Amino acid sequence: MDQQLVSGCTPAAPTARMETHGNSMLRVVMQSGQDLFARTGSMVAYEGFVQYDPNPPAVRQMASQWLTGEGAPLMRCHGDGMLYLADYGADVVVLNLNEDSLSVNGSNILAFDAHLNWGVQRVKGMAKFSGQGLFNVAISGTGWVALTTRGTPVVVDCGRGADETYVDPDALVAWSTHLKMKGKRSFKASSMIGRGSGEAYQMGFSGQGFVVVQPSEDSTDRLRARG
Amino acid sequence: MQSDGGRSLRMAREFQRGHKAKISDLTAGTDLYVGVQITAPGLNFDISCFGLDADERLSDDRYFVFFNQPKSPEESLQQLGPQAGDTESFRVTLDRIPSSIQKLSFSASIDGDGQMSQVASGYIRLVAGGDEVARYSFQGSEFSTERAMMLGDIYLKDVWRFAAIGQGFDGGLDALLRNFGGEVAEDEPAADSGVAPGFAPPAAGGASQPAQPAPGFAVPQGGGAPAAPTPPPQPQAPQPPQPQQPQSPAAANAAAPTIAAPITPPGAQPGPAVPAPPGPPQPPPAPPQGQAVPPPTAPQAPPFGQPPGGQQQPPPAPGQAIPNPFGQPPGGQQQPPQVPQGPAAGMAVTLEKYREAPTGQRWTLQNGQLARVDLGIDGQPVLARQGSMVLYQGKVDFSHKGAGFRGRIVGNATGQEMQLMRCSGGGQVFFAEEAGYLHPIELQGDAICVSAEHVLAFDESLQHEVRRIEGHGIPGGALFTMQFQGTGTVVVKTQGSPVVLPVTPTTFADADAVVAWSAAAQVVVSSQVRLRRQAYPGHSGETVNLQFRGAPGNFIVVQPCEV
Repeated sequence: MDQQLVSGCTPAAPTARMETHGNSMLRVVMQSGQDLFARTGSMVAYEGFVQYDPNPPAVRQMASQWLTGEGAPLMRCHGDGMLYLADYGADVVVLNLNEDSLSVNGSNILAFDAHLNWGVQRVKGMAKFSGQGLFNVAISGTGWVALTTRGTPVVVDCGRGADETYVDPDALVAWSTHLKMKGKRSFKASSMIGRGSGEAYQMGFSGQGFVVVQPSEDSTDRLRARG
Repeated sequence: MQSDGGRSLRMAREFQRGHKAKISDLTAGTDLYVGVQITAPGLNFDISCFGLDADERLSDDRYFVFFNQPKSPEESLQQLGPQAGDTESFRVTLDRIPSSIQKLSFSASIDGDGQMSQVASGYIRLVAGGDEVARYSFQGSEFSTERAMMLGDIYLKDVWRFAAIGQGFDGGLDALLRNFGGEVAEDEPAADSGVAPGFAPPAAGGASQPAQPAPGFAVPQGGGAPAAPTPPPQPQAPQPPQPQQPQSPAAANAAAPTIAAPITPPGAQPGPAVPAPPGPPQPPPAPPQGQAVPPPTAPQAPPFGQPPGGQQQPPPAPGQAIPNPFGQPPGGQQQPPQVPQGPAAGMAVTLEKYREAPTGQRWTLQNGQLARVDLGIDGQPVLARQGSMVLYQGKVDFSHKGAGFRGRIVGNATGQEMQLMRCSGGGQVFFAEEAGYLHPIELQGDAICVSAEHVLAFDESLQHEVRRIEGHGIPGGALFTMQFQGTGTVVVKTQGSPVVLPVTPTTFADADAVVAWSAAAQVVVSSQVRLRRQAYPGHSGETVNLQFRGAPGNFIVVQPCEV
């Protein structure tokens, strides 16, 4: 078969533990001893010997607050090889944490190193009323994290102005954990922003740090579709 | 959004009094043409350029460029005389201006009797590579008895910037001089480099030559100059090739044809719409500190398949960084997969390329899918589709905006009323919807029709009205479009990269895929669909085709998605 047409899509040699192949596929170099947590069902391909452990005990414990009542949406991957992950064509953003900490909306997380400190938090404030995930994951330490976003995200510095930054919770992807967060509900009868209910709410952030926002208010939790 | 015929369709940015912008945001060029036009019956103006030092003093008389001294010593400032519809013009070569000169102040003073209130209108504009990139227009009614005015400044504050001043001055030229008076200082040429569009006076008429790496300085085509016929080029002006403009140069205020021109998309532009910039793309911003491109020189990790000895590689020196996550791996490195554990520069560096684009313009395309409006500029509210706000900073007030009577008609007819919200106050608002690609279209007195579902946001200053196009076979009985007219920006949303087609005698588009068209084009519901249905009985795939008719110069925008 003439493979010329697809030859441009062959993977390049890996240079880091996590890389993107194209815009929306993540490639992780797996080595035994360096486990990975990945969203269940996000594996699209793998080479080598990689094993998956859905609903591992550690996660089960962590996710006791997960609230959704279903199994934890993370699986533990271990082994040696090359693992390809994707999430319904969403853009993938790879982050390398260096003693950083960040909080990621639960439905935007794709994978992260198992040795990172992480915990599941219940979303505070109004955001829990949005259709977006009911939890977020606080990750800190040194290692790799991959996020998914619908569309190319933007990173906004909160500390730039004296004013707070307000984000539509449906578009919020991640933020630095040391930001102060509060829900803002607009009580004006004429105020109609935000999607859905007509009750306007945003999340306000203040302090030094950044907010990652995606250009979409896609509020469907794709985890649920997987069952 | 690309235009027909490969023309560069960037619209000049209109400045209001007090507006400032980085010149690098306007153009990559450093060889600028500055044109000043003043329409004032019976008045004569001396238009001059003061090269000022850091203290805003004219410390070196040789940088006072006026009718008696048409150029500065190293010719970074030259007065060119009237041409291309401008009463006076200058050539400014930014990278040759000595470092002692920090500000170029362009001013006009009345020669003889008269006062500024007698001025009908005027402007100062910047032209780079034949494209007008900035224009500040003023009216005589903004002034009273002043006898001079400061038009605009090009000044150095970290980078060269342009400011629209528009400040009247009671005395004449001598008072201006006194205002700037100072002592003599030495100068020393500053060096800078960069491939950038060269200097070329504006191609009047709105069309511009295709972008060239560095078009040389060129004298514009004559004709149409209200003040004086185009004089022979000044002797000191180097005379490389003249750009051949097919169109006759329009007079100063001629509006460019309606054109979809994205506002400078900063940074990554994954999107569809890459306008032909007036030159080569701007050089990428300098990588942030500590970001190194090559992979860390960490000890080689064993390839997979081999159990590694210790998991944690000793970290490489700090400052080594991760490869660009979206980019290709650095070239030529055929190393076995490493598992770098190094303290790379951290996530701040990784996220650097998603950083917010610098402010300065009212509308900025953050990336192909996010548009930002700075309400503080112009202080004018924006109307946007409800729910399209993803983030805002500052004191922004959101209020419901009914679609009005006509809007309700639409709502009743289509079952979905266009719900708008009004964003007012001061601050920045980011708009996006469903990761659709956004295209800000700047209107300058012209009109465009946009299919209602593709409107994301627009300036309140634009007049908008809903139109319906009726025809057999259109779902809902009619196609609803919003027609925008006036001066301002409309942000249009498309699914996928659109195509912009010129309107020819045989231009058809699917009613579901057409996004926008220039309002001068006439829409006819085509009967082709019937032919097709007859040809293939039972075939219902195609819905309705619209045929467009119009004079040359009209265009339509079609998206690759028939929703």
